[in-house]
Amino acid sequence: MLSPAFRFDPYSPLVDADPFPFYKTLRDDFPCFWSADAKMWVLSRYDDILRALNDWQTYSSAKGNLMDELPNRAGATLGTTDPPRHDRLRGLIQHAFAKRNLDYIENHIREAARDAIAGCVAKQTFNFVEDFSSKVTVKVLFRLLGLPPGDDNLVRDKAVLMVQSDPVTRQKGPEHVAAYEWVQDYAAKVIAMRRANPGDDLISHFSTAQIEGDKLTEREILLTTTTLIMAGIESLGGFMTMFALNMADHADERRRCVADPALLTDAIEESLRYNTSAQRFRRCLAKDTELHGQTMRAGDFVCLAYGSANRDERRFADPDTYDIARKPKGHLGFGGGVHACLGTAIARLATRLAFEELHMAVPDYTRVEDTLPWMPSTTFRSPLRLLLARP
Amino acid sequence: MAKIVYVEPFGTEKVVEVPEGWTVMQGAVANGVAGIEAECGGSCSCGTCHVYVEEARIATLPAPDANEVAILDFVAAEVKPESRLACQIKVTPELDAMVVRVPTSQG
Repeated sequence: MLSPAFRFDPYSPLVDADPFPFYKTLRDDFPCFWSADAKMWVLSRYDDILRALNDWQTYSSAKGNLMDELPNRAGATLGTTDPPRHDRLRGLIQHAFAKRNLDYIENHIREAARDAIAGCVAKQTFNFVEDFSSKVTVKVLFRLLGLPPGDDNLVRDKAVLMVQSDPVTRQKGPEHVAAYEWVQDYAAKVIAMRRANPGDDLISHFSTAQIEGDKLTEREILLTTTTLIMAGIESLGGFMTMFALNMADHADERRRCVADPALLTDAIEESLRYNTSAQRFRRCLAKDTELHGQTMRAGDFVCLAYGSANRDERRFADPDTYDIARKPKGHLGFGGGVHACLGTAIARLATRLAFEELHMAVPDYTRVEDTLPWMPSTTFRSPLRLLLARP
Repeated sequence: MAKIVYVEPFGTEKVVEVPEGWTVMQGAVANGVAGIEAECGGSCSCGTCHVYVEEARIATLPAPDANEVAILDFVAAEVKPESRLACQIKVTPELDAMVVRVPTSQG
């Protein structure tokens, strides 16, 4: 049951800027929608997406999880491998990202934030992306992965480029693929260094690990490391920027968080629900599946719109209100199920500590631009620039 | 669908109709059951959805895999033979009327 009048085009700048009205139409009128623009089905309701996340046998990640997948990536990363191998791969590294093992990095996050803040308070207006989130997330990621110092800015620029797509050609452009290949080469050099001189760091462990006697393939080591770099810098940076946007636009909520920084935890969770940077991921159907009167065929791709699930009033009352007292358990801002974001604990910790520090120095800020330059990405949503003015 | 009976940390019972294909953890967090944190979103990595399954049913569930067994080492409350991570229990009609007790701490 297709309506010629309604389109859902994840390449459209309109969707980058504000996907939520589109999501509402999808949920209400076309809960299983074939998008000719995306060349895939789109699921938008919370229940359907949750079930898909749980049913990996039907909704496979092995053909890629990014809406625009990068070449040769599918099958070689955590997010693009199905159980049982996925579980073994993840089991090898997830301890390094567990909340209980992150105490060591807290001071590092605070220091990175303070360094960045010094640059922000030197001016009346600062760019949250360039002056704060990109600096902090690079430092945190480098520390987490034990990457050699130097090249921070370059790695950051490449990580941000690799998640974007060309809205005109409707695919990854040469500059995006080149950025991805640059990060791979960078990861390869670090892996080689660690193999030559193994240490007690994540990449050393990862590059020498075995699963039940099977070694990780070179591709798995390389591409998983590449993904960790992308996620730690771009995804986390994007989320921090979305949180800054919410704090800038919801002044009362920000003031409450400034007055009582313990409220940041709940404000962050509500941001993850309200406008997570991780808007849409994809799966590939392993078998024909009927849903809402549509027949999706084996081999079809399916978009799981987490950003829509999080605004589904069937699940969250008054979903379009940013309410920091909501405590939105079960939101899909980090995805969910076996592939739920590996960086969940570090993302929450880094965002909370960064904003504790920021709010001590800059408790009051407003957005300068009404219209933001949204990143052209079919998967992620965050602005490329967020100018904030201090009073 | 199956009715899952959640006994919250201080004794309150909440009966939830959980759809087939959801996990016991998801049934809890979607329905305001207290005491299940599920910080990692159901990826078997945090140990904050620890529950005690009623003794009569624990052996009827598919056994925990290696990852779940490893994470059960890290749960905050006492580990018992009937300890499971709720995110690893998929709801099927066979689970109807199963009782799970939520411990007083998830860490």
